[in-house]
Amino acid sequence: MKNINRIYGIATVALAALSTTSCDNFLDIQPVGRVIITTADEYRKMLTEAYSIVPEDRGLATFRSDEFVLNSTVSQEDLNSYLDIWRWEDVSPESTTATFNWRSYYQVLYEANYLIESRDNITEGSAEEIDQLEGEAYMLRAYMHFLLVNLYGEPYTALADPYSSKAVPLKLDTDPYNVLSRNTVGEIYDQIISDMDMAERLLNVDDWGEYRYRFNTLSVDALRSRVYLYMGRWEESLAASRRVLEVKSTLSDVTTELPNHYQSVENIVALEQVMTAYYDRAGKVNSELYGLYDISGDLRRTQYFNRQTSSNITVKKGGSNEYSCSFRVGEIYLNAAEAALEASTGEDALQAARGYLLTLMQNRYTANYYAKREAAVNEMSRDELREEIYTERRRELAFEGHRWFDLRRTTRPQLTKTYQGVTYTLEQNDSRYTVRIPSAAIEANPNLAN
Amino acid sequence: MLSLVSATAAVASVTVKGRVVDAGDQQPLVGATIIVPEKALEAAGSSRRNVNALTDIDGNFTIVVPDGITAVDCRYVGYAPMTVELKGNLDHLVIPMTAASTELSEVVVTGYQKIEKRKLTAAIQTVAVNDNMLGSAMSIDQALAGQVAGLSSVTSTGAPGASPKIRIRGTASLNGTQEPLWVLDGIPLEGTTLPTMEDLKDIDEIYSTSIAGINPADIETITVLKDAAATAIYGARAANGVIVITTKSGRSGAPKVNFSTRITYSPKTGIDRLNLLDSNEKVDLELALLGTSYTYRENKGQVARIIAAAGETNAYKAGGWGALSGSTQAQINQLRNINTDWNDILFRNTVSQEYNLSVSGGNDKATYYTSVGYTDERGNVVGVEANRLNVTAKASYRLSRRLRVGASLFANRRVNKSNLTDADGFTNPVYYSRRANPYQTPFNEDGSYNYDVDIQGREDSELMFNIFEERDGTSYELESKSVTAIFDGEFRFNDQFKVFTQLGLQLDDSDKEEIADGNTYAMRKDVERTTLATLGGESFLPEGGKKTASSSTQRQVTWKFQGEYSDKFADIHEVELMAGTEIRKTWYESVSATGYGYDRKTLQTKPVIFPDESWAELYPLYAETYTENAFASFYATGSYSLLGRYTIGGSVRMDGSDMFGVAKKYRFLPLYSVSGLWRLSDEPFMEDAEWLDNLALRVSYGIQGNIDKNTSSYVMGDYNNVTILPGLTEEIISVSTPPNSRLRWEKTKTFSTGIDFGVLNNAINLSVDFYNRNGSDLIAARMLPLETGYVQMLVNWASMRNTGVEVTIASRNIHTPDFMWTTNFNFAWNANKVLREEIPSNQTTPGREGYPVGALFALKSAGLDEDGYPLFYNKQGEVVTATELLKLNSAGASTLTAEEQRNLYSYIGSTDPLFSGGLMNTFTYKNWELSLNFIFNLKSYVRCSPSYSPANYDRGMNSNRDILNRWTPDNTNTTFPVLMNSSDRPAEYIQYAEYSLYSSLDTWVKRNDHVRLQNLRLAYTLPSEISRKANMERVTIGLEARNLLVFGADYTNYLDPETMGNEFAQPIPKSFSFNLNVTF
Repeated sequence: MKNINRIYGIATVALAALSTTSCDNFLDIQPVGRVIITTADEYRKMLTEAYSIVPEDRGLATFRSDEFVLNSTVSQEDLNSYLDIWRWEDVSPESTTATFNWRSYYQVLYEANYLIESRDNITEGSAEEIDQLEGEAYMLRAYMHFLLVNLYGEPYTALADPYSSKAVPLKLDTDPYNVLSRNTVGEIYDQIISDMDMAERLLNVDDWGEYRYRFNTLSVDALRSRVYLYMGRWEESLAASRRVLEVKSTLSDVTTELPNHYQSVENIVALEQVMTAYYDRAGKVNSELYGLYDISGDLRRTQYFNRQTSSNITVKKGGSNEYSCSFRVGEIYLNAAEAALEASTGEDALQAARGYLLTLMQNRYTANYYAKREAAVNEMSRDELREEIYTERRRELAFEGHRWFDLRRTTRPQLTKTYQGVTYTLEQNDSRYTVRIPSAAIEANPNLAN
Repeated sequence: MLSLVSATAAVASVTVKGRVVDAGDQQPLVGATIIVPEKALEAAGSSRRNVNALTDIDGNFTIVVPDGITAVDCRYVGYAPMTVELKGNLDHLVIPMTAASTELSEVVVTGYQKIEKRKLTAAIQTVAVNDNMLGSAMSIDQALAGQVAGLSSVTSTGAPGASPKIRIRGTASLNGTQEPLWVLDGIPLEGTTLPTMEDLKDIDEIYSTSIAGINPADIETITVLKDAAATAIYGARAANGVIVITTKSGRSGAPKVNFSTRITYSPKTGIDRLNLLDSNEKVDLELALLGTSYTYRENKGQVARIIAAAGETNAYKAGGWGALSGSTQAQINQLRNINTDWNDILFRNTVSQEYNLSVSGGNDKATYYTSVGYTDERGNVVGVEANRLNVTAKASYRLSRRLRVGASLFANRRVNKSNLTDADGFTNPVYYSRRANPYQTPFNEDGSYNYDVDIQGREDSELMFNIFEERDGTSYELESKSVTAIFDGEFRFNDQFKVFTQLGLQLDDSDKEEIADGNTYAMRKDVERTTLATLGGESFLPEGGKKTASSSTQRQVTWKFQGEYSDKFADIHEVELMAGTEIRKTWYESVSATGYGYDRKTLQTKPVIFPDESWAELYPLYAETYTENAFASFYATGSYSLLGRYTIGGSVRMDGSDMFGVAKKYRFLPLYSVSGLWRLSDEPFMEDAEWLDNLALRVSYGIQGNIDKNTSSYVMGDYNNVTILPGLTEEIISVSTPPNSRLRWEKTKTFSTGIDFGVLNNAINLSVDFYNRNGSDLIAARMLPLETGYVQMLVNWASMRNTGVEVTIASRNIHTPDFMWTTNFNFAWNANKVLREEIPSNQTTPGREGYPVGALFALKSAGLDEDGYPLFYNKQGEVVTATELLKLNSAGASTLTAEEQRNLYSYIGSTDPLFSGGLMNTFTYKNWELSLNFIFNLKSYVRCSPSYSPANYDRGMNSNRDILNRWTPDNTNTTFPVLMNSSDRPAEYIQYAEYSLYSSLDTWVKRNDHVRLQNLRLAYTLPSEISRKANMERVTIGLEARNLLVFGADYTNYLDPETMGNEFAQPIPKSFSFNLNVTF
């Protein structure tokens, strides 16, 4: 009896001991699919996520511009999503209406800021690799703020004092307790410029190979070229464009590849899809825009568009991630032409502008038609040339997410659209050239209303 | 062990030897007390005051009693005390004790221990489960309403099998689950958390928790553990209280067969209370609106379509009804004659059935309980049905006098069927029946589907919708198979020390099948979404339907091992100690596969050719998840009783879990409680109070804690795949929540005290409990400014106090041989107060500091202005417009600071009832029994959704009649605002359309107090002489009506007070059932 008791007793103690000592091991479960971000490789994967959630709002903004028409060939479901954006119905849009993003920009900014903040704690990466990561984070931060300020802020060029008009909050940290207020357009542009300068010092990859959606060394000047153009700081824009063209100046042969194809020779950063499959199928090409392409002389007419009937012209340069393009050489030529023209008043400036414009034109027109255009361009006055650059920009960059921003930063003209017999008008300098901040964002942060 | 008393007195003594056994199964009773009454000792002239003995492991005892003692008392927990005359063979005296039902001798099962009620220091209440208590409830959680003081059970929908919201002693925490922990025979159940009920989808949510898989007929008792002294041993998971289910076991004796059945009839509930428009009113409304400047969805509704088709829209706007042509007028008038009763054709009267058969019995070596149960429930919504098959087998073996082992197996299979309702809210028949136009018909004259073009929103959608087509063409079937096995073993070393081990295995498997045929709205919607211009305007999905088959498995293993020691010293000190360890591991995995081009007849699917990888990510054909968690705990509890009158107890538990991204030292969280009991009625000074059966005072204090497992102070991410550019699929890490290094443990300190009181032979039993729960550093999700990149984050937001009083009275009002009237009344008062709150600077609604956590705040309405727009009282009592109140900017947003906006609101009341409880009266006359069970919830408020939106009222759908009383130039004496035009006051329009201004008005906060006659039951038991002739032991027939009556504060426009505020909730159904219970 005593023996049995002892055996049981020992067994009990042994079991109890076993269960306590192995406890820590028992609790060490590596969750499937979860990780604490520490290594350079993991930071890269986080940054890849940031790239993947960059909104395609430049494509959605196309509906507000004059590139698309909505007509009876558009499906009702697509009308439900885009009609109220297209006709600038901002007061009482249907609940089904697609919305411009807000939080996604700041989610990208969170991850970019986190990377910048924790730069010194990144393990298992070479200094170069980490520099490149941080440089890309600065570029993402600059570009997100640039998109935000151009959607929700008044155009820089329309403001007498850019430091008096509030746009969106600058997000430069990861503190979730920080409740921000809106910064002025001027402050945001200043930050964008400083972030680009930081990025320039850090980026060291010239060519990403198949990962061409990532920011490379060339992308800094490509973005500068656009940012300074939007600010009307022509010399700086021109200088940036020149630096880009020194490295990369080849233009696509549009008869064999679309210039905004992600593998095209002119693609600099293939990040945004712009014309997503949904945007691409919803709108029809405005016949006025279509008419700007010379029927036989402009090589882009048949490459860019597919004309079924006069009211049903669709866009070929979008609809899938094959047409991912944020910056390309074609835009840089046009930026350079415009900046060169505006930078100074002399004949030299005119000549320089013509040079950039004609280089692009030569590539986009048949030889015969180009000869005609070249002669015309060389005859143009300053104002005519400016008009020509604008029009060529409209043609070349159609449906690549530039038009709405270009309208905003230049003349903000009156636009009219007609749907089912009703005409809608966006007046010149209409306040609706600036998109209203989503009410969900204001509800979460009432500072945004002031 | 013997407690021998040497005979030192002058009086001679006699040695008595014997054995104490259970009168039923003849099992020895270990630890029974044999005692010589003090008075008898005095009478016998003995100088000793204390002569007693305990039985040993075999039930044997030896006691030396002074001469002249003729009888001894025998006591054992759970058995009726008895007096045994000392006669016959005093060397082999057999004392057979019978199980008792008197209050104090009962034991309470906490899941870890059996505690004698006389030593119970904690607030614990046990409910016996029987036909009367269950009624026609299909699962046990539905039957708990009104049964236990301090347990509130709120049914928020009448969907079949819907689980009620159960709260014990108010709301303790706001983070994560607020459900109590459910324990089945000692094993905490997994998968008891309620899914978030999206009201529009609730027909899918039947039988969704693992509690629903337990057959109520197998349950013997439900024990509710309420205070920290009781729950501390369960650790962090028990912060919301514990509900312990004890299932039936076999008893020694001849096999007992029990059969019961219940047939329940549930008629469909009319929806007249909702006050929906009829065809005539709807046609008049559409005509009236078309003549006004209200243009929102102007082309919707059949009237507008008829007029537009005739090309007379402009004529009508200019000239009114008279300007319409005769044929147009006739067509419109034709609509008035159609009155489709959608409620009638989409709902049905149903009959549900339930059958249970059990066999139990055993002998002194083994007992068994086996049962089979089947229920078939049909929902009032056509096509919604559920059934459940249960098999339960329990056995307990006494392998030796030291070793006892047991095994239980609970298996069930549940099937739920309904239609797919996830394509859009309106595909739910409940929603549809409230919103479809009364002049709309489901079928055309030729029998084809008549598509409803009004239900879907603005434009005439190309995705035709018909509720009958959807019902016929889609199906949703969920089959759950669940097996819970519990093995336990108990080894007794000696009278004082035993070890107990228990292994619980739970396996829940569910298979879900969702099918949509090609010709359904659900499928057409998928096709529309995948139609691409690059594919020439075609969808890349193959023609046909789709089928998604998913299966998930939830497993848990819990193993506990504990030692228990109990002893008595010097006859007055009783000590019980228990210590143990528990480890638990859970796994959850799910797999889902989807096929397109599916055909139900051929069971074939077709391959999908995705245009690129990003589409393949949007339409996954295969998905898989896996999670694994581990928990380890140590616990100990002890109690010490002096003289059987003073008991103190304490328990402590350390909970550890696999918290990822948290330092190891934070893995273990200690929780503890201390408690005490003073049984006054056993004090010598109370001895004269013969009328007093029991008077005891209980006090306990405990501390509990909780931490959010998903918040880390590091940036954590989840792996995923993404394709940014063609042919380049990369691994990414997405950061789903921001790290929060400031998050602290949530702590709850509970003080609880109670008094138990029994008088007049326990004719009246009264328990009063008072508690005070102080929660500090409570964790809750806080809305973040979206500029943080995230929507919300968990923070320590507040401290909160729950104070409450619970009263339970059980009384035997009249007791004659033929007639008995008993009353059970329970009543709870719970006051909740937020003591301190950190209000984030971006919060625009008022903080709750000083108010209950369920506080409702509203803006004071001041009628309408001269244009029919709502007016408000500001805090100065002035009447102002919305623009003035909120200082709206041109985009309709308030330019007030968050703090200024917070100050605009006034406190109205709390959503949590201040008083709740139940009243059950049972009348027994000979073989008849009548019981009435009322439940009540008083002093609570609810925020209702407005009956229409003044900015975007959709004339294409049916609505409440309030719209007829809206402000118009001809109807200015009303409180219902004008239908607004976006161009009139754009800023206010945006406020009403996009912000929640209108529903923030105090008009929409309403009282929802109610008293419900939950159960009315009449039962008849056949006289035993008759049933015996048929070889039956007991036959009971019952008739029951459930939810017969409800009295409430004004709930106009809603079906029940409980579902008030949600006009799309299913009504709580009335039901009538017949019940037969036979024991052989």
